[in-house]
Amino acid sequence: MTMRWIAALLVAAALGACSTPQRQALFVVLPNPDGSAGSVTVDSGSSSVVLDKAYAASEVRGGTAAPVALDAAQVQQVFGPTIAARPILPAHFRLYFISDSDVLTPASQIQYRDVFADIKRRPVYQVTVIGHTDTLGDKTYNQQLSLSRAKAIRERLVKDGLTGQSISVAGRGELDLAVKTGDQVSEPRNRRVEITVQ
Amino acid sequence: MKLLQVVRAAAIVAGLALIAAPALAEGPEIAQVKTAAGAVSVLRDGKSAAVKPGDFLYEKDVLQTGADGSVGITFTDDSVLSLGANSEAALAQYAFDSSNFKGSMLTDLRKGTASMVSGDIARSSPSAMKVRTPTATLGVRGTSFAIEVGQ
Repeated sequence: MTMRWIAALLVAAALGACSTPQRQALFVVLPNPDGSAGSVTVDSGSSSVVLDKAYAASEVRGGTAAPVALDAAQVQQVFGPTIAARPILPAHFRLYFISDSDVLTPASQIQYRDVFADIKRRPVYQVTVIGHTDTLGDKTYNQQLSLSRAKAIRERLVKDGLTGQSISVAGRGELDLAVKTGDQVSEPRNRRVEITVQ
Repeated sequence: MKLLQVVRAAAIVAGLALIAAPALAEGPEIAQVKTAAGAVSVLRDGKSAAVKPGDFLYEKDVLQTGADGSVGITFTDDSVLSLGANSEAALAQYAFDSSNFKGSMLTDLRKGTASMVSGDIARSSPSAMKVRTPTATLGVRGTSFAIEVGQ
């Protein structure tokens, strides 16, 4: 009988200790723009929690991390203004060129407009244009050609009204093939620029 | 006399340069401010300065927001960080090699709220992206997440 009372008191004390400490931190995984979710490991020294799906959450109370249930509405309540302050996420594009030239293919001429529109919608932008070639021809020549391709895109963007200072260019020649080939192979998918828009 | 004047002029110019120059930034630019609303400042080498969209940030910079403040930045590896009101985050450590997409980053969220979307560092090197809070450290693997740190 006495033992039972002591046990009940211990349980009550434990529950009390669990609910009393203030929340010291809250962590929540958010869905990625493509709907997927990665994972976050929350390590509080004494305990570790893995959060690996959208809205999986953990809180730290009394120095201990534990899972907690959270829905989209609660996330919005706590983090709404924070998430609203997020910059437009970076975007990546590839534009392709006619063999041995810095002229875009007809399809890429059209896609260029998407690139331009994406940069234009950002209040502040940093653009990186990296030129590439296929393995046809001389390596040194291709190095030059890849840089010419990158510069041609920058020139076009500047001509269309963007700030050249915010657009950096580089040429990688045959060094980073999108499609692995042997030497002296004409490959349209390697004749490209890769554009990162931040 | 003439020499003295030259020396004095040089001293004045040097002094002006010191006053005019923003707090000394060391190392490469690691991020750019994209959004800023309300009171937002950066603490760099012990000096605090207001922050506006377009400004570049450096390793060890500390971002601070006021009661009406929020800020959003994009790192060179495509990671994105935003802070809500009354928040403070130190860009404690950052290294990124754009040729192989590898690197490491540690952000210290000291108070307030933050949301992040991981970029190339987390993608190419699992566990290379970390966020530290006063009570726990987060290891990030390719995801978007949010944190609140109690006062």
